[in-house]
Amino acid sequence: MTISPERLMLNRLAFGASPGDLAQMHLVGAERWIEQQLAPDPGDEAEMVQRLAAMGLHIKYDAGDGFGAVDEMRPPQCLDRDVAELWPLTDAKRKIAGPERQRPRQEVAAATLLRAIHSRWQLREVLVDFWHNHFNVNAAGDQAVNVALPAYDRVIRSHALGNFREFLEAVATSPAMLVYLNNRSSRAGSANENYGRELFELHSLGRDAYLNDLYNRWRDVPGALKGSPAGYIDQDVYEAARAFTGWTIEDGAGLGGGKTLPATGRFTYVEAWHDNYQKRVLATDFDPFQPPLADGRKVLDLIAAHPATARFVCTKLCRRLVSDTPSDALVTAATQVWTENRKRPDQIKRVVRAIAHAPAMREGFGAKVKRPLELTASYARGAGIDATVTVGLLNELDGSGQKLFGWAAPTGHPDSMDYWLSSHVLRKRWTLVSGLSDNGWGTGSFSPAARVARPITAAQAIALWHGDLTGVEADGRTIAAILSGMQLAAQAPLMPGPASDPVHRRIFAFCAMTPAFNLR
Amino acid sequence: MILCRRTFLQAGAAAAAWPGLSHLALAADAVPGDCLIVVFQRGGCDGLSLLAPTNDPDYVADRAPESRVLGDGPKPGRPLRQGLAPAIDFRLHPESVPLGELYDSRALALVHAVGLYDGTRSHFVAQDLMERGVGDGTRLARTGDGWLTRLLAVHPSAAPAITTGPAIAASLGFHRDSLAIPDLRGGLGLPGGPQVRRTLTALYGDADDPFSRAAADTLREMERVESRLPRGPDGKLVEYQPEFNAVYEETESGRAFRTVARLLKMDIGLSVACVDIGGWDHHDNLAGRFAALVGQFSRALAAFWNDTAGYHDRLTVVVMTEFGRRLRTNKSNGADHGHGSVMMVLGGHVLGGDIYGRWPGLASAQLDNGVDLAITTDYRAVLAEIASARLGAGQALDLLFPGFRPGQPLGLVRAS
Repeated sequence: MTISPERLMLNRLAFGASPGDLAQMHLVGAERWIEQQLAPDPGDEAEMVQRLAAMGLHIKYDAGDGFGAVDEMRPPQCLDRDVAELWPLTDAKRKIAGPERQRPRQEVAAATLLRAIHSRWQLREVLVDFWHNHFNVNAAGDQAVNVALPAYDRVIRSHALGNFREFLEAVATSPAMLVYLNNRSSRAGSANENYGRELFELHSLGRDAYLNDLYNRWRDVPGALKGSPAGYIDQDVYEAARAFTGWTIEDGAGLGGGKTLPATGRFTYVEAWHDNYQKRVLATDFDPFQPPLADGRKVLDLIAAHPATARFVCTKLCRRLVSDTPSDALVTAATQVWTENRKRPDQIKRVVRAIAHAPAMREGFGAKVKRPLELTASYARGAGIDATVTVGLLNELDGSGQKLFGWAAPTGHPDSMDYWLSSHVLRKRWTLVSGLSDNGWGTGSFSPAARVARPITAAQAIALWHGDLTGVEADGRTIAAILSGMQLAAQAPLMPGPASDPVHRRIFAFCAMTPAFNLR
Repeated sequence: MILCRRTFLQAGAAAAAWPGLSHLALAADAVPGDCLIVVFQRGGCDGLSLLAPTNDPDYVADRAPESRVLGDGPKPGRPLRQGLAPAIDFRLHPESVPLGELYDSRALALVHAVGLYDGTRSHFVAQDLMERGVGDGTRLARTGDGWLTRLLAVHPSAAPAITTGPAIAASLGFHRDSLAIPDLRGGLGLPGGPQVRRTLTALYGDADDPFSRAAADTLREMERVESRLPRGPDGKLVEYQPEFNAVYEETESGRAFRTVARLLKMDIGLSVACVDIGGWDHHDNLAGRFAALVGQFSRALAAFWNDTAGYHDRLTVVVMTEFGRRLRTNKSNGADHGHGSVMMVLGGHVLGGDIYGRWPGLASAQLDNGVDLAITTDYRAVLAEIASARLGAGQALDLLFPGFRPGQPLGLVRAS
């Protein structure tokens, strides 16, 4: 299958090709398009702000003890809220209806999907999705994570093209992560190891650098005695966990002596809970009794500087942006840029730029399958559906195997093809494009018939819409399959006007079920 | 494989009740053989809470009363007769009383201090190793598919292999005749019905890309199940009616076991099903979170066992987890990643009512790395014994578990 480099890039650096993006890329050229995308405005563009404000997310509940019945379409209201403003939603004793408590994740997920479809800053949205999975939290599993999600989303957004070391600390001090990986309750004496372990395995050095099956003592790890160990072992995890004791949130917990923390949900450091004694992480000694936060920051310094982190995160970026099995040359090139720019505020941007300009970005169709979020957004974009996001669509996406901000394991959603080709996910893929075509969830109707001025045959319609969606000519077998499935003759005329729309929309949906549209 | 006459008679009775099923009793591919249900408790189930050595002095000394199972008081653990270590008062968690009944009826056997000998404390490494049936990381790269995929190569199945989550379990990796069915209540139909089926079948028919291959496999396997789902005269799916007063709760465990029970009782020849139950990673509030989850789990497993009473003769359920949890709790009143844990084996040919394995003790010198319950039984010893005794894979154990040398059998299951 030959697909144009522009299409390939829009499948990878954007949520698929919309007619507008293709035109823009042709107008300014791919190089400039990348540069524009790498310099997004902070926040949403005016049009996006309007779309967000116009998005009605249905909320409905009966009257209960202390609240009246509600049945309305309500735009998102949590997105700009601080965790302290939403913290009361964690209080089970307050008289608040259940659906109100679920709003934060629902609103952030809806905004994420709406931005994926419409944002001008497509590359940023792709990277935000990447980092949310890299630094996964599960807002569907814990109400405290849920209310902290809007703030967490803003953290991810503001660092998505920034510096990794700064990003690590912003995440480490985010209430959502502190709750999700239990560091909130970690105390000197017997630290909670959950965050420390996943920090090494999933956020930084990666599991290939977990050398516990080879070495039991830190000094045995190759390079350790020179201060540059090749990887980490359980001892590093235990010591790192000690370093982060006392990094917590203001959750109203008792501090002893009749004092309590305020109940705001915000990050705080409790000196009394911190393990102050000396530590050794990655063959580096930590002196006892360091200033507040210094131990944890030193761990972050060490892991951010480690070569395994560069390799691990760059491999993941290449896997997301290019191929399930990125070439060694591509990963090495990205890793080099990562390492050289370690101290720069735009480190990640430089790495992404290197990947975006690499020859591999312009070749190799079919090396990944679109995840359901990509499929949904790219279908709305490619078919030119002026779609909004509704609760119905979100629920369908939740059931598709890609539950935004609701993935239980700290790995984030898998990023290789096999997971996304299970029978369940495939069935949901077909449902998602069918429902969008038929406006099954009230996301917005579209009228392909209005785009053709003259009568065309069914076979021509298939060729036309297939070309619009995928950029490649439909082969004879694809046309025959859709014709025979729909029991249409090749020459069956489709008249201009809305009466033909149901047939056109069905053809569109079938074109979106082809390998040409599902692979990328 | 045994051809179970009773099952055929049941299928005939069902066919009389539901006209849509009339072809079932005659279906040539519905050859009932043994069925293996592999349950994976994701996150690292605390074996010391599931099957607690309540009077072990180290257990008592190292865990606060609120974080351990007690031998007396208002909510004691469920006592068990056992030959593992008669001096120790092993008890099931108080929320696992339904499992105690299965144990007393000798359908359920327990194995303690079992797991993956490899010392990894990573969930994802440990799960990968176990689902691929290997013992250490050096074999991981060379063993891409799952151990159940290899089992199905020697024990072919008439029906697709099932996973009760949204994705196929890694133990079934690269097995093409697989279905992921998180919930069967809505059926497995396609949006748009026959038109969509026709079109997609033609669209993917002989295309040779990974997407089309997977899609074609899915259409074929889904149809095999969907066409057998009982429908009423109005064409609507008949709601599943559990038998023998079994009640499935609306929990992950309840949904998963209800789905498997329904598939089993459709008599499509189900051979392998994977049930994934998440949420066992109790780094904080171990006591509260474990009690809630193990209660849901135990009630669901017991409901499944009751509901499938007509199938016990060819049913084996094995429950496993990637590792147990630390003996000493942390300051969050949780327990961090440990080593040895518990496996459960439930089935009509299981020699239940006992705890198998070897109890290593919990004194400091007996613990793995000084902190965790040591492993004395390789998880593959349990799986190999089941595969060998019940699924005819005795000659293929090296294929299923490369590099594993089975020792003396535990004697958990009777051979068919």
